[in-house]
Amino acid sequence: MDRRKFLQLMGLVSGTTLLSSCGSERNQKELISYLVPPEDGVRPGTAAWRVSTCSECPAHCGITVRLREGRAVKLEGNPDHPVSQGALCMRGQAALWRLYHPQRLRTPLLRTGNGYRPIGWDEAMKRIAEAMTASAEKSRTNMLLTGSTSGSLAALQERFADTCRIDRLPEFEFFNHAALRQAYQLLYGRPRLPRFGIEDADLLVTVGADLLETFISPVGYAHQLSVARREKGLQWSHIEPHLSLTGANADRRLTIRPGSEATLLLWLLQTLAKRRRYARRLPQQILDALPKISLARAMDNSGLPGSSLTELARSLEKARHPLLITGGVATAQLAGGQVALLGCLLQWVLTVPWQGLDFDRAENFGRAGDLRDLQQLNLSLQNDEVGVLIISRTDPVRHSPQKWRLDENLRRARLSIAMTDLHTATSRTTDLILPLTQNFERWDDVEPRIGIHSLIQPAMAPLHNTRSEGDILLELQQRLTGRSEAATYEKYLQQRWKKLFSASQLRAFINKGFVTKGSPRTTISLRTKPTVAALRRIAPSEPLPAPATVITGSIRSFDGRSAVLPLLGEIPDPLTTVTHGNWVTLSPRLASQYGVKDGEELRLTKTDFAVAQPARLQPGLPDGIFGLPIDSLTSGPPGIDPATGEALRVIGGIKAHPTGKHFALPILSGSPSQKGRGIIPKPIHRKGKHHAEHRSLYPEPAYRQYRWAMAIDLKRCIGCAACVASCYVENSVPVVGREEHLKGREMSWLRIEPFYDDQGRASFIPMLCQHCDYAPCEPVCPVYAAYHNPEGLNVQVYNRCVGTRYCSNNCPYKVRRFNWWQHKWAPPLEKMHNPDLAPRSKGMMEKCTFCIQRIRTAHETAGKEDRLIRDGEVIPACAQSCPTDAITFGNLLDPQSAVARLIKTPRTYRVFEGLGTEPAVYYLRPD
Amino acid sequence: MPRQLYFDTPDAFLEELRAQLNAGIPRRRLRARLPFHLHEAEELLIGRPSRLRYFALGGGLAGFGGGFLLAMLTSVDWPIVTGGKPIVSVPPFLLIGYLLTILIGSLSCFAGFLWLSRLPDPGPLVSDDPFDPRFVLTINDEEAS
Amino acid sequence: MNNDISAPQVETDVLTAMRRPGPAWLTGLGLAGLLFAGGLALWAYQIMHGMGVAGITHPVGWGVYITDFVFWVGIAHSGTLISAVLFIFRARFRTSFNRAAEAMTIFALMVAGLFPLIHLGRVWRFYYLFPYPNQRQLWVNFRSPLIWDVFAVSTYFLVSLVFFYVGLMPDLAIAARHRSGRAGKLYRILSLGWTGNLRQWRHYGRLYMFLAAFATPLVASVHSIVSWDFAVSIIPGWHTTIFAPYFVAGAIFSGTAMVLTLVIPMRRVLNLQEHIPIDHIEAIAKILLLTSLIVGFSYVIEHGMAFYGENLFEMEQFRFRALGHYSLLFWIMIMCNAVLPLLLFIRRLRRSLAFLFVLSLLVNVGMWLERFVIVVCSLARDFDPYNWGNYLPSPVECGITLGSFGLFFAAFLVFVKTLPVLSITELKER
Repeated sequence: MDRRKFLQLMGLVSGTTLLSSCGSERNQKELISYLVPPEDGVRPGTAAWRVSTCSECPAHCGITVRLREGRAVKLEGNPDHPVSQGALCMRGQAALWRLYHPQRLRTPLLRTGNGYRPIGWDEAMKRIAEAMTASAEKSRTNMLLTGSTSGSLAALQERFADTCRIDRLPEFEFFNHAALRQAYQLLYGRPRLPRFGIEDADLLVTVGADLLETFISPVGYAHQLSVARREKGLQWSHIEPHLSLTGANADRRLTIRPGSEATLLLWLLQTLAKRRRYARRLPQQILDALPKISLARAMDNSGLPGSSLTELARSLEKARHPLLITGGVATAQLAGGQVALLGCLLQWVLTVPWQGLDFDRAENFGRAGDLRDLQQLNLSLQNDEVGVLIISRTDPVRHSPQKWRLDENLRRARLSIAMTDLHTATSRTTDLILPLTQNFERWDDVEPRIGIHSLIQPAMAPLHNTRSEGDILLELQQRLTGRSEAATYEKYLQQRWKKLFSASQLRAFINKGFVTKGSPRTTISLRTKPTVAALRRIAPSEPLPAPATVITGSIRSFDGRSAVLPLLGEIPDPLTTVTHGNWVTLSPRLASQYGVKDGEELRLTKTDFAVAQPARLQPGLPDGIFGLPIDSLTSGPPGIDPATGEALRVIGGIKAHPTGKHFALPILSGSPSQKGRGIIPKPIHRKGKHHAEHRSLYPEPAYRQYRWAMAIDLKRCIGCAACVASCYVENSVPVVGREEHLKGREMSWLRIEPFYDDQGRASFIPMLCQHCDYAPCEPVCPVYAAYHNPEGLNVQVYNRCVGTRYCSNNCPYKVRRFNWWQHKWAPPLEKMHNPDLAPRSKGMMEKCTFCIQRIRTAHETAGKEDRLIRDGEVIPACAQSCPTDAITFGNLLDPQSAVARLIKTPRTYRVFEGLGTEPAVYYLRPD
Repeated sequence: MPRQLYFDTPDAFLEELRAQLNAGIPRRRLRARLPFHLHEAEELLIGRPSRLRYFALGGGLAGFGGGFLLAMLTSVDWPIVTGGKPIVSVPPFLLIGYLLTILIGSLSCFAGFLWLSRLPDPGPLVSDDPFDPRFVLTINDEEAS
Repeated sequence: MNNDISAPQVETDVLTAMRRPGPAWLTGLGLAGLLFAGGLALWAYQIMHGMGVAGITHPVGWGVYITDFVFWVGIAHSGTLISAVLFIFRARFRTSFNRAAEAMTIFALMVAGLFPLIHLGRVWRFYYLFPYPNQRQLWVNFRSPLIWDVFAVSTYFLVSLVFFYVGLMPDLAIAARHRSGRAGKLYRILSLGWTGNLRQWRHYGRLYMFLAAFATPLVASVHSIVSWDFAVSIIPGWHTTIFAPYFVAGAIFSGTAMVLTLVIPMRRVLNLQEHIPIDHIEAIAKILLLTSLIVGFSYVIEHGMAFYGENLFEMEQFRFRALGHYSLLFWIMIMCNAVLPLLLFIRRLRRSLAFLFVLSLLVNVGMWLERFVIVVCSLARDFDPYNWGNYLPSPVECGITLGSFGLFFAAFLVFVKTLPVLSITELKER
C-alpha cells in the first residue's frame, strides 16, 4: 500500500466515523449517554418490557414481552390484563418459538408441481388481484376464510369484503362451541358465549367443559377458579365420561357413561324444578315440555349411583351461587345440541339469578361458524363455484372429516391462498402461501371479549420478508378498487384508534396494553316459545355403546395448532407424561383385556373412522373409554353432528385390536404411583412419623440478610405446566427431542409430577431444585462446582463443572440435568437465548437456580437505592406464569414476607423431610 | 590382597563367617555379598538395626501433617460451604492425612533406602561387576579397610 | 518340596520363560492391542461428541464406566494382598504368585485410573481434580469422596509401583547377568547397580518390610474409600455401613480370581509347574473360598437389613435388585459369587486347575456384575418414583470396556516376556 492510498483510506474511515456519529435526530444534542435514556429503548445489558397480547389461541391473554438488545427473549403474563390476570399458559410461553421457528415461512411461495417457488410480494399480489378479477368475470365467488378474528382486523376484513366483493365466510375454529352458541340463541336470542362469573361462585358443576385445557379461556378460568376456591370456598364437581386434566383437578369427578349427559341434565333439571327456590324460574309450559325421567333411569343411563346423583342435586340446591357449565366433549357429540340446551336451561335456573353469566362481556365468538359452514364451502368447491379462496390463520384441511376430501377439493378453486406463519395441512395444499408477520413484529389490536380492547405491539422488526394480514388486505384492496382504507395497516390502526378511544384511553391502551370500555349490563330473558319447541324435540337417548372413544383437546397443542412448536413437544402431557408423540389412552384393566402394554399399537375402528396409535395406560380412566388426544387424530374428526355443526368427539361402539407393532413412547414418569412415599402426603402418610426430629452434627446454616425460599401450594396447583414452559424459555433450557427423551435425558429444570392413588385420582407436584440447607449434591462435588451461596441458594458454577454427575446421582429429588451433548439451536432460535445467563456446553451439569439472574437484577436495583430487596420484587419465571398463584417466592429471613408467612400454615411440609436435607422449597399439602 | 571365598549354600557361608569372626578377624575387614538376604549375616557383621525406620517415621508424620494441613488450610483460605458441613470437616481431612502418610512414608522410605545403600551405584555398571549368584565373603587386608 | 531345585535351575527356568515370544503370544498381544486401540478410538469419539454417546442417562448417571473402575481397582487388590499382607504373615506360598500379582496390581490400577477420566463430562478439564491453586486460588473440595479417590488411587498406584520395583531390583540384576548386549545393559541400569552386598541387603530387607507395612492398610483402605463413593451418598442401596468391608472382601475375591485366571495359563505356557506347585494354587483357592463366603454373607446382610429395617426406599431397592429389570444379572451374580465357589469345599475341585480356571472366569464375570448391580440398580430406583428409569449400556461403553481388557492383557503379556514372572531371589530363599 502506498502513502496516497493509505491517506485515502484513513480519510474515508475517519470521515465515515465522524459522519455516522453526527446523527440528525433532533434530540441528540449531547453525547452523554443514558442520562437521557435513548428513545428507541434499546440499551445494551438492560431489559425493556412491552405490553402486548398473545394470539396462540382465541382467548387472547395479555402479555408483556421482555426485550433484550432489540429482540424478544421472554413472555410473561400482563398482571393487570382482564382476561388472564397476569398468567400465561405453556402455549403462550411457546409463542416465542413460533416467532423464531427455524421453519417459519420467509417469503411468498408459489406451488409449482410438487414443489414451491419463492416469489416476490408484488408478484403474489398481482396474481391474487388478477385471479380475483378473472373469477368475478367467470361468475365464480371469491371467498375469505379466516380463523378467529376480532378488533381492527375484523373491521378491515369487513370493509375489504364489501369493497372487493369477496365472500367473507364465517370464521373457522375447530373448538367453535357452536352447540352452546345455538342454545343461547334459542334461549335468550344471544348467539354468544357469556363470560362466566366463576370467581363469585361457591359451587361449580362442569359437564364436559375442560375449563383448564381448551375451553374458551383456560388461563383466565384457572385464575378465576383459584380465586373462588380461596375466597368463596368453591366446591367443584366435574362430570365427564373420560379423564381430563380438568376432571383431575375438580374436587369431585363424576364419571358417567358416554352419551348420557342429556339424561343426567334432564334429571337434574326436573329434580331442581321441584324445589321451591327454583320452581318459579321456569314457566309451566317449559316444565310440561320436559320429558319425564326417573331416578332409576338416570342412574341406569349415566352409570352413577343414586347417592351421587341426589348428592349432586342437593349441593346445587344448597349453594348460594351455583354455576353450571356444559361444553367441551359433552356438546361435541350426536346429542350435543340437547346437552347444550339442557345445560343452558339449567344455567337459567341456577346461575342467571345471581348474574353469573355476563353476555355484555361475551367471548369473541360472534363471527365464528362451525363445520357445517366448512361443509358448505366444500360443496361450493366441488361445484367449481369458488374463484379465489383466501384462508388465513386456520387449518380447515386438518380439521375436516377426511371423507370430505377438502384437500383435493381445494385444488378446484381458481386460486387458493393460505396466509400463515408456519406450514399447516391447509397450506400444503394451496396454490399460494403468504407468510404472515408474527405477533411480535406488528401493530394490531384484538377484542377478546366485548368491550375489552387488547393491544398487539411490535417488539422487534420483522425477521423475514413477511407482511401482516392487514397490510395484505389493504394492498389487495388498493389493487382491486384503486383506493384503500389506509396506506398501511399501521395507519389504518391509528385512524381507527383515534375514533375508538379518547386521548386518555389511548394512552392507557399503549401503556397498559388494554382498555376496557364499559357498557351497561343488560338483562336477559328466557324465550319461552322456541324453548318449549326445542324441548319437545328432546328424546333422552341411550348412552353410547361401549367401548367409546373420546377425542380430547390438548393443553399442549390446543386443537393441534401448537404441535409444531418444538418446546411443547418437549413438555410432557400432564396426565400421561408422554412427550413427542401420539398415543391412545386406556385404563390398565382394559389394556390387560386387549393384552397391550405402554407403546403397543392399538387400532381403533368404526365404520368410516380408523386410527392406530400406541397405547398408554392411564390410571383413573374409566374402563370402557379410549382417550384420543386431538394430536393423535391423524385423519380429521370422524364426522360432524349435523344438528349443531360441531365435530363428533365422542363415538361409541368402537372396535379395537392390537396390531402387534410396538412404538417407543417417551414416557417421562417412572411410576404412576408414589408408592406410599409421601411426596404428596395423603392422610395415611401423616399418621406414623417414622423419622425423629432433625438433629444435626453440622453447624446451623448462617444467613445474614436473605434466605431465598419458595412455597408451592399443591391445593392450587393444577398441573398445567405453564411454569415448566416459562422456565424453559427464561433459562434457555435446551430442547433435545424425542430420541433423547426415550433415553430419559430431558433437560427440564422444573417438572410436574402426576401421582395417582388407588382410585385413579391424580395429584400434581411441581418438582424443582429444592435448594437444600444440607444439600447432598454439594459436598460430593470434587471441584466446588456445586456449593451453597450466602443467600441459601444451591449454586452450580458451570465453568467449574467437570461432569462427574455425582451431584445428580446424590440428589434425592433428581432435579439436576446433565448436558449430554453440545445442544444445537437451529437459527434463528438462538436469538431467544436469555443473555443474562452463562452459556452451558456439553459435559456440564445444570439445574434450577431460583432464577438467580432475577435476584441479581433486584440486588442491583436495591443496591442503587441502598435498601434490601422488597418482598415480591423477585418473581421467578415459574411463579410469574402460574395461573393459580400456586408458587410464592421470597426471603425467609424477612418474617413479613409472603413465603415466611405461608410456611407457618399447618399444611406445610417438605419432600423427603426424613432425609435431613432441609429443602428451601416448602409445599402446602392439598388437604 | 583381599581374599574372596565363594559358597553355594547359606549354611556353608555362615559357617565360614562365624569361623572368621571367631578367629578374631574384625567385622570391618569382612565384606559379604549374598544372592538373598540372610538375617544371620546381618547380625554377625553389623548387629545394629537399619536407620531406615527414621525415614519411615519422618515421611509418615510429614505426610499425615501435610495432608491434613493441606486440606484444612485450603478450606480455611477460601471458606466455601458445601452441604452445610463445617469448613474444617475433620473426618475427611483425616482421610487425606492418612493417605498421604502412606504415600509420603513409602516414598521417603524408598528414597532413604537409596540413600543408605548408596544406590544407584554407577560402579558396578562401569566395571561390569555382576550380581553374583553365590555367597561371597571378602576378607580385606588390615590396611585396606 | 522345591528344595531339590537348585538355585541356577531357578534362574534358568524363570529366565527362559522370558525368551522366545511364540506366535500365540504375538497373536494374543495383537488381539489385546487391537481391542485397546478400538477402545481409545471410541473414547476419542466420545470426547468429540459428548457423553451422550454412552448409555448413561437420568437418573442413572453412572454406568459401565464406574462399574469398570470399581472392578479394576478391585482386581488390583489381590496383588497387594498377596505381596504385602502375606509377606507380613510369612505365608510361603506367596512366592509363587507375588510378582505376577504385583504386576497385575499395577496394570489393573493403570486401567482403573483411566475410567474416572473416561466418565468425566469434560475430560479436557480433568486437572481441576488435582489439588493445585488455580488462578482464582480455588483448591479442590476435600470433602468429596471423588477427591479421596484421587488421593487413594494415586497413592495406591505409586506405592504399588515402588513395591513392585523394589521387589524386582535383585531379579533385574540377575536378568542382566543372563542377558548380553543392550538388554543386559538395560536390566543392569534398571537394577541401579545392584550387587547384593550386605549393606544393600540390610536396608533392602527393612525397606521391603516397611513397604509391606505401608501397603497392608491400603488393602483395606483403598477399596473402602472406593466403597465410600457410594456409601457416603444418600441413595438407597448405596448408603450403608457394611460397604467398606463388603467391598474389600469383594475386591480380594475378584483379585484372587484374576490371579488364578492369569497364573494358571501362565504356569502352563511358560513351563513353571515346578515353581508354582499345586499346593500353592490350592492355598489361593482357599482365599477365594473364604472371600466368597464373606461376599455371600454380605449379600444376605444387605437384603436382610433392607427388609428388617422397614425403610420403604431400601426395601423397594432390594426388591428391585432381586426381581426387577436387572434381576437376571443379579441372579447370575449370586450364582457366580456366592454359590459356585462353595464347590471349593471339595478338595479335589480345589486342586483341579481346569475347574479353578473356569471358576475364576465366572467369578470375574460375577464380580463385574456385582458392581454393575450396585451402581446401576441403586440409581435406577431411588427416592422419587417419577424419576425411575433404566439404563442400557451403549456400544461405546461396551467397546471401551473391552478396550480396557485389551490394555490390561497387553500389558500383562508384555510383562511376562520382559520381566521375571517369579521372584527368583525369593524362590532361591525358599
